[in-house]
Amino acid sequence: MAPPPASAIADAMNVPSRPRDSQTNVDIMAVTKGFHWPWLVAFLLAVSGVAMALAALIYQTYEGLGVAGYQAPVFWGVYIITFVFWIGIGHAGTLISAILFLFRAKWRNAINRGAETMTVFAVLTAALFPLIHIGRLWKFYFLLPYPNQRYLWVNFKSPLLWDVFAINTYLTISVLFFIVGLIPDIAIARDRAVGWKKAVYTVIAAGWQGTGKQWKAHSRTVLHLSGIATPLVLSVHSIVSWDFAMSIVPGWHATIFAPYFVAGAIFGGFAMVLVVMIPVRRIFRLERYITDYHFENMSRFILFTSLICGYAYGAEYFIAWYSGVEPEQTSFWQRAFGPYWVSTWCMIIFNVVMPQLLWIKKLRTNIPFLFVLSFFINLGMWFERYVIIITSLSREYVPAAWGLYIPSAVELMVLTGSFCWFSMFFLLFLKMFPIIAITEVKELEIHARDHAHGGAH
Amino acid sequence: MATLVSIYDMPSDVSVVVRKLKSRGFDDLTTYSPAPFEEIEEAEDPNPSGVRLFTLIGGLVGVVTGFGIQLWMSMDWPIKIAGKNIAAIPPMWIIGFELTILFGGILTVIGLVIKAGLYPRKLDEHYSPRFSAEEFGVVVRCEQRDVAEVESLMRGNNAKEVTLAAAH
Repeated sequence: MAPPPASAIADAMNVPSRPRDSQTNVDIMAVTKGFHWPWLVAFLLAVSGVAMALAALIYQTYEGLGVAGYQAPVFWGVYIITFVFWIGIGHAGTLISAILFLFRAKWRNAINRGAETMTVFAVLTAALFPLIHIGRLWKFYFLLPYPNQRYLWVNFKSPLLWDVFAINTYLTISVLFFIVGLIPDIAIARDRAVGWKKAVYTVIAAGWQGTGKQWKAHSRTVLHLSGIATPLVLSVHSIVSWDFAMSIVPGWHATIFAPYFVAGAIFGGFAMVLVVMIPVRRIFRLERYITDYHFENMSRFILFTSLICGYAYGAEYFIAWYSGVEPEQTSFWQRAFGPYWVSTWCMIIFNVVMPQLLWIKKLRTNIPFLFVLSFFINLGMWFERYVIIITSLSREYVPAAWGLYIPSAVELMVLTGSFCWFSMFFLLFLKMFPIIAITEVKELEIHARDHAHGGAH
Repeated sequence: MATLVSIYDMPSDVSVVVRKLKSRGFDDLTTYSPAPFEEIEEAEDPNPSGVRLFTLIGGLVGVVTGFGIQLWMSMDWPIKIAGKNIAAIPPMWIIGFELTILFGGILTVIGLVIKAGLYPRKLDEHYSPRFSAEEFGVVVRCEQRDVAEVESLMRGNNAKEVTLAAAH
């Protein structure tokens, strides 16, 4: 007698069928699973860089800020430049998540998580630099208004204090925005994890089940956070710019600084999103989700903000000449033809000239080109802050007090370490949580399917 | 009481069935969705979300705190800076604004936690990992005598599965 077919045996056993999982879940969660050589190499490099920077920082803390290359009249150097650079990088995430959300630009859905992750770690990196810059790390709490025996409060009229409040607010709101967006995706991970991972995801998912009530509260929270994060993101880099613009230093005392810094931050932030997401897309095979369409849109943003930066550079020179103020004119002449001319021309070429190639449509979707261009834009944006800070401070009103600043090895090690610190956290995130917002991608996919099906959209 | 669990593929079907169920008086229902769909949220509960009240309260507390601490601390240590008034108002707008945003954001998230019941807990009995894949669920609790009507409504609106999960 022939044995019964396997299906009949399965039916008799009444084995419940395993529900078909979403391909989107499988593809995106695959990033967190398995072993990837490029990831390991990058992670080990990042950890080594952090160790090097930590050693340099311990040395500086022990020896004092004298090892940092500061000398009269330049007492803001690589640390402040790098602080402004990382704060700028942190702007793209909120722009993509909040501002594009308010404009209902749905193309953001595949890249917003990567950009938000970048924002959070960039701001965390930036927040270290004022502490490194003050030298005596253990006195960091002097920055905050705290009750003390002498009733000595902070100076609320100082832009440096405004900056403390702006950065802390931005960090808090960015982290909240990031976590709120992550919760539904962590629930997806929870439903598919086993062992200790399931226990961890269960706690972080906080009872998320995707009920109508939960989605409603979640959608409104995202909307309200977007509404308040939009003016916040514009205010933060404006306030950073006022650290300079509120002074009377030639080259800093300009009303254009706030919009100039905000545009520059968005410009550099988008370039960093490309630098980070292009390898991620390639290594983890996410081409289905992060497409040429996304890269083209980001390229358009880069081109637009590059034009604003170009205008600001031009306006600065024009106003310096038109003002008739000699120290201002000298400061700008020294930028272009003085001892720091290399950084000035790097800034102009990388930030204004090279991005003009993005007028060519083919280049806007040429991924290797975009990666190289974005790398140079980031370099250019670092040089922009170098030019603003160093040339202005080193060429103030009295020529007899002019000086030359050369970054020390300690500063360069800490600078390198900051990139490694940022990368280390980003790489860890890649292996723990979904780098693409799964529910937001599914929202688009299901809507499209429903529309094709004849649903009410 | 009986509990019926139905599964759907499309959000438009869910919003339609929820509206129909509610119009027939079956209000004790829960929807499960793999992504946010406004039409489902509106069908289930057309009232505005309570989260906005938290945002408003947070913003108001923030602006009062922002100006309050600056005024108090400036007066507590009176020192003339740059020829400005001791408690000069214009520079206070900056920190007043930042704290409005900070408190508004924090309270908004607290509102989410309260309104969405976000704390580590046991999941609903009828929740399934299918709802975090690409399927939708509508769970209705009704009287035993209404089971046939509810089931017919569900099947008539493209439910691909309807299960009588509990009957007491």
